[in-house]
Amino acid sequence: MANANAPMIELSGVGFAYEDAERFTLANLDLRIDAGTVTGIVGASGAGKTTLAKTIAGFIPLNEGGTYRGAASVAGRVLAEGTLSEAAAAVGLVTQNPFNQISGARFTVREELAFGLENRSVPRDEMERRVDEVAARLRLEPLLDRSPYALSGGQMQLVAIASMVIMQPPVLVMDEPTSQLDPAGTRLVYDVLSTLSDGGTTVVIIEHKTELLHEHCDSIAVLAGGLIVQHGTPGAVLADDRLTSWGVGETRVTTAARLARERGLLPVERALPIGVDDAVEAFSTQTGAAS
Amino acid sequence: MTTTTLYLERTSALHRLNPVTKLVALLSIILAVFAVPHWWIPLGIVAVVIVPAAVLGRVGGRLLRLFLILLLPLLVVLFLIQGLFYPDGSTVLWEWGLAQLTTEGLLFAITIGSRLTALVLGSLVFVLTTDPARLMSALTQVGMSPKIAYVISASLQIIPAFQARAQSILLAQQARGLAIVGSPLKRARALLPLLGPLILGMITDVDERSTAMEARAFGATPKPTSLIIVPDPVGERVARWLMFLSAIAVVVLVVVGVIA
Repeated sequence: MANANAPMIELSGVGFAYEDAERFTLANLDLRIDAGTVTGIVGASGAGKTTLAKTIAGFIPLNEGGTYRGAASVAGRVLAEGTLSEAAAAVGLVTQNPFNQISGARFTVREELAFGLENRSVPRDEMERRVDEVAARLRLEPLLDRSPYALSGGQMQLVAIASMVIMQPPVLVMDEPTSQLDPAGTRLVYDVLSTLSDGGTTVVIIEHKTELLHEHCDSIAVLAGGLIVQHGTPGAVLADDRLTSWGVGETRVTTAARLARERGLLPVERALPIGVDDAVEAFSTQTGAAS
Repeated sequence: MTTTTLYLERTSALHRLNPVTKLVALLSIILAVFAVPHWWIPLGIVAVVIVPAAVLGRVGGRLLRLFLILLLPLLVVLFLIQGLFYPDGSTVLWEWGLAQLTTEGLLFAITIGSRLTALVLGSLVFVLTTDPARLMSALTQVGMSPKIAYVISASLQIIPAFQARAQSILLAQQARGLAIVGSPLKRARALLPLLGPLILGMITDVDERSTAMEARAFGATPKPTSLIIVPDPVGERVARWLMFLSAIAVVVLVVVGVIA
């Protein structure tokens, strides 16, 4: 058992190169994530975010050929030393493509949601309770009797997320979980993740929408060149001048504020706002209105 | 519910039966009709068991339609070929050039045709009245390996998965100027570019899906639980054994020559 101060997820000097690849996708990477927090991972396309997600979940090196070095542990346990099944019990992984997250062997969404629980031998009453609960949380009730293949991309993505949330892993790693969702669905997912985190689940989200990360994350880590080049509070990371050079987009609020500063509407010495609340405060102060 | 099979959702006693009971009944019927060398046995089973079962299961209309579309053309061809061109036929009833309608050919066609009718109609009644999800759960409950159940279910589901992928590739290619118009041959040729990405895409999907299955603990325990519990009353279990033993008895009687 890990001591109380140890991080939930710890990657030390982790490097990984896929078979026949010319370079390491992850190069000597260090990352510490505390229990019960929500951490966003950002980076340019091809920066290795999916590889990092699979590494945290233990699928690298347990299920992927290549050159691996360093150590990744979850709750003090080095996943690479155990089995894939043990790793999967410790970390829930939602993959990028919901189409492939669907088991392909269940005929209704209800059964699809229960698939993982069946594999873990969860008693039927408990399964039914959890299916109803997760369906209510992600508003999937109208879809429960439909075929998983008769869903839209966004609906399928919600089912894929629900099918992992229902397993209640202590750590949940999600690779671009809202890529196909509308704004309402996206908000729903983030609300669920916040609730899970409040209940003690450690959540890691790979996401391009920096506004959402600013709003919901405790910390953000930037992945560039196979390394974590910045890791801190959303405010600190998203205000970093090097952000765009790492291939990460600043929030629209920041972009708008930068334009406003160029036109003299905000003082140069003032830090650029990141979220809507920061912006309201910045402009209120500037115009002398009560904030 | 959107399904990928012919299953029709109805409320009937046949639907409520444990799918394994229906499967054993079907297999017993197939065993009996192929073992007994009399054409009237399969037809009798169709008339006394299969058709009433379809009516009881409220799938009679669909069964008739499927019979007309699938089986009737096959039976007509069978009777034409075997009835008119049976090589060992000696009792000629009617002839026209090379075609000879013989008693032996007619009997052969009736025997094969009646067996085929019992086999196809019996299987159709089974498929029309059996929810595939319940079937898989019931088979797992009676001891079938969850991995084999997965393979069967995944095979049934692969068609809509294939359709969905094909549709998206087709749209992407049409958006880039692929024209699917003109003669059937032209249209078929235009669909060729679909095959490469479709098959390659399905192959690369396997890797990601296997990751997802591991993440969802597939195979983590040899005895997974099941969300769907299919009732299996003692009466049905006894009936299954009786049907199975009766079918075996018929085969034995044929082999030892009591039924000839």
